[in-house]
Amino acid sequence: MLSVYREITAKHSFAKRAFVLIILAMLIVPGQLRAEFPDKPIKIVVYTGPGGLIDISARKFAGIASKYVDVNFVVENKPGAGGIVALKKVIQSPADGYNLYACTKSNIAKFVQVGGSDYINALSWIAMLMADPECVITNGTQDLYKWSDIVANALQQPGEQNWVGPAAGGLDHVTALKIWDAYGMDAKWIPFKSGGKALAALLGEQGVAYVGNPRDALGNADLHIAAVSSTHRLPAFPDVPTFTELGMIGLENEYMWRGFALKKGTPAAVVQWYDDLFKKVTADPDWISFWSKGGIDIKYVAEKEFTALVHEDAKVFEYYLRKSNILQDEAVGILANIATGNSFTILSLILVMIWLSASYGVYKSTYAPIFGRVMVIGFFLVVCILFLVQSLNFPSSSDVGPAAVPRLWIFMLIPLNLLLLFKTFRNVAEVSDSGPRVDIVLNFIGFLLVYLLLMQVLGYFLSTFGFILVSLYYLGYRKWRNSLIIAFGWILFSYLIFYKTLYVALPLGSLFEGLF
Amino acid sequence: MAELFGNLIDGLTFVTGIIPILTITLGVIMGIIAGATPGLSPSMGVALLVPFTYAMSPTLALILLVAIYIAANYGGSITAVTINAPGTPSSVVTAFDGYPLTKKGKPGLALGVSLVASTVGGIIGTLILIFFSGPLAKFALKFHPAEYFALAIFGLTTVASLGGKNWIKAFIAAMFGLLLNTVGIDPISGVSRFTFGFSFLYDGFALIPALIGLFALSEIFKQLEGGDFSTKAASAGNQEWPTTRTYWKLKNTIMRSSLMGTIIGIFPGAGATIAAFISYDVAKRVSKTPEEFGKGSLEGVAAAEGANSSSVGGALIPLLTLGIPGSASTAVLIGALMIHDLTPGPQLFLSNPDIIYGLLASLLIANIILLVLGFFGARLWIKVTTIPKTVLFPLIFAVSIIGSFAVRNSFFDVAACLVFGVFGWLLRRYNYSVAPIILGMVLGNIAETNFIRAIMMGGWTVFFTRPLSLGMLVVAAASFAVPLIQARKQRQ
Repeated sequence: MLSVYREITAKHSFAKRAFVLIILAMLIVPGQLRAEFPDKPIKIVVYTGPGGLIDISARKFAGIASKYVDVNFVVENKPGAGGIVALKKVIQSPADGYNLYACTKSNIAKFVQVGGSDYINALSWIAMLMADPECVITNGTQDLYKWSDIVANALQQPGEQNWVGPAAGGLDHVTALKIWDAYGMDAKWIPFKSGGKALAALLGEQGVAYVGNPRDALGNADLHIAAVSSTHRLPAFPDVPTFTELGMIGLENEYMWRGFALKKGTPAAVVQWYDDLFKKVTADPDWISFWSKGGIDIKYVAEKEFTALVHEDAKVFEYYLRKSNILQDEAVGILANIATGNSFTILSLILVMIWLSASYGVYKSTYAPIFGRVMVIGFFLVVCILFLVQSLNFPSSSDVGPAAVPRLWIFMLIPLNLLLLFKTFRNVAEVSDSGPRVDIVLNFIGFLLVYLLLMQVLGYFLSTFGFILVSLYYLGYRKWRNSLIIAFGWILFSYLIFYKTLYVALPLGSLFEGLF
Repeated sequence: MAELFGNLIDGLTFVTGIIPILTITLGVIMGIIAGATPGLSPSMGVALLVPFTYAMSPTLALILLVAIYIAANYGGSITAVTINAPGTPSSVVTAFDGYPLTKKGKPGLALGVSLVASTVGGIIGTLILIFFSGPLAKFALKFHPAEYFALAIFGLTTVASLGGKNWIKAFIAAMFGLLLNTVGIDPISGVSRFTFGFSFLYDGFALIPALIGLFALSEIFKQLEGGDFSTKAASAGNQEWPTTRTYWKLKNTIMRSSLMGTIIGIFPGAGATIAAFISYDVAKRVSKTPEEFGKGSLEGVAAAEGANSSSVGGALIPLLTLGIPGSASTAVLIGALMIHDLTPGPQLFLSNPDIIYGLLASLLIANIILLVLGFFGARLWIKVTTIPKTVLFPLIFAVSIIGSFAVRNSFFDVAACLVFGVFGWLLRRYNYSVAPIILGMVLGNIAETNFIRAIMMGGWTVFFTRPLSLGMLVVAAASFAVPLIQARKQRQ
């Protein structure tokens, strides 16, 4: 190997040599890892913050799985964008099985919305572990609370009923759309920030029905579960009829699932290792008793069947998201074209140029004292125009569209800024709240940028240690022993409190990532 | 009533045992730390400790979590007062007057008043929760999206009096905050807006990095620019603390803001931040010395802290009586209850009164323990103001970076925090106030989603046909116009 390296690099520049080294390293490293799986901790990547049901599932799984295998499971929370942030983390890591993605059916809705089939195909869907049937909850104190009455009423007055629930385009919304389709009825979906707030609206008689989990109705006697989408009555809710019992075929399998996925291309032996583990965990008495208390079905489905299920779910989501106008084809027309791609970049550049040259003009004129203030006003105006142009591309809708409110703020910002611009030119004498040492500020901004870049490579702990020492020195603090104590104390504090106790996944840096 | 008192006394007897008291004390200490650390919000503090409570009895677990929640709401004010880095969004308002007091060399006054206002507010909120939760919860349920929208607009009008002479700049800042809030996936239509194809923008800008950048970082940049950082701050030895008379003079402000905080806290989603802004605004209007506000008014500190701490009691009303979370922190509490096989809601009063009344009693005790710990603690945190700035600044930078990263484990948030820091510094240079940006970011979502929801449910006229909504909008319009007219009169 070494001779090959020498031969290739003999006549080449340093950069090329480094490149070849990296290629060689990539060839060698996975080979070593493949030797025996697992030989380092496995990260379970959770797409929500700590405390949610999927997070609890992941942590419970980690606890029980470590009874059967001698490996350390670390739960890493990567919340954001309905699972896209966590997904990216998994697909940007090597396909070696050390990043296990804890997924739910809600992810599929989001993936379909944002990345089409690309995101779904980027993962191997290796196991579904549990299923949670969906149900319709109504308010028992309202006249309309029986399922048959609701259907009859909706058929009489199409589109008049308000149904409440969490975000548009999510699992609960799509389940509602499916139910409406099955019964040939039509109603309005009023989305709330969370299921809990939607339930409050239901109790406040602002809606007729809520779609979600049967557990949501526990604890409040006013809430009534009208029907559940399951093949059989749920043991925890023996009085609640299924849709099948109510005479509707085709609504017996609407449920929320939770499971695990790996990056596509993970070696078969690793997947096999996980399969064995899932079988053991699913049969574990602790696991079973923990979930059955909450009325959640433990349902183990292995890779082949699960993958087919995921693709089927994706198709259904796509159909309904298109039907409800959440997924739309690209908008057309001249105005919409400006808002996308290269023409938008060019427009942004032109605006920035105008902004900078106008500010420079002010700087060179007799109005030099108000240069800074004009620049700030110009910045606001540029942002307003760019956002306004972007909003041309938003789909329209029958009610108030997604562009309405941003435009409202923009149309208030533009005149306010013009008024301020006018006043600024009239009142040149106004003093700014500035000091003499802008250079220190700029240097610190530079330090911070370098620090953030170094953090990617050297990791949080080393780069922070360096940053604290450098900035103490720069500010004139020259007691070296104290400086070292301060920097080290901070590192220790952040390691113990943030990294260990609060599960904050502080970056370890690309240089050291492989070591842990 | 007799039964209520009996249950309450049972609860108090349980809570005053050694182990519950120790649990509460532990919770209060952890809560103060979580609240004071920029980047750890009360809801995160509660969420992160849920796993530790698995092994505890349900009552103890709840007591611990609620103690953290209460103390974290207070903890945010410590850093707001001492280094102008509000630890929680609601303590932004505390910084308005708390930090100027520190700059004047009187952090003791601000810390003392914020502690007492917090705990008195917390106790008033709890008492309202104990005695009036039933009817208040029924009232909150009747709140239509139109009324939420009106409440948000009412919150926004506080900018008019916050801005004072610079009201145009204050409005620009607020509108900009509202506009920033529209970045990300639209919660109503599911369309992604202003994301420019970047997946890290799908959730929009997180509030905490913006808060840290606009306040903590911009403050350091400003002081660095001033160039006087090498001077050592005044010593804490002869610090001035509030006297009983000082507190007594503030009694009306504290009472009023606590009442307002509890009421506003009841509405799911409105919460502590709006309560603090509105209560501050009202305090300024009724004050005999409104010109002191923003320069170090004790009334301002008391109004902000009384409101944000009493909102805890308010937020627990829908949780306990209806099983519906009133804030992010109470949402986490619901999760914690469920882990212990308890379902929050009216049934809990019947099936497990011991837990409910233990919880209510612990709220009272936690506030008292907070008062005691805070009293001694204040002597400790005041030392922060005596740390030489050469040491303090690098550490604040370090806290800011780790705090903004901790929110979502994301580098984007760290970068955003830095950009907000530079942006805030530039804005403050040109006499813009940065607090309206935070207000805009907090209110944007409530205003927009409820605006659209109201129209979906009742058409465009719904805002004016519902009496409550109409009334609130009229009051909002008046409170917007009055300060502007006054400012105009004063100039003439």
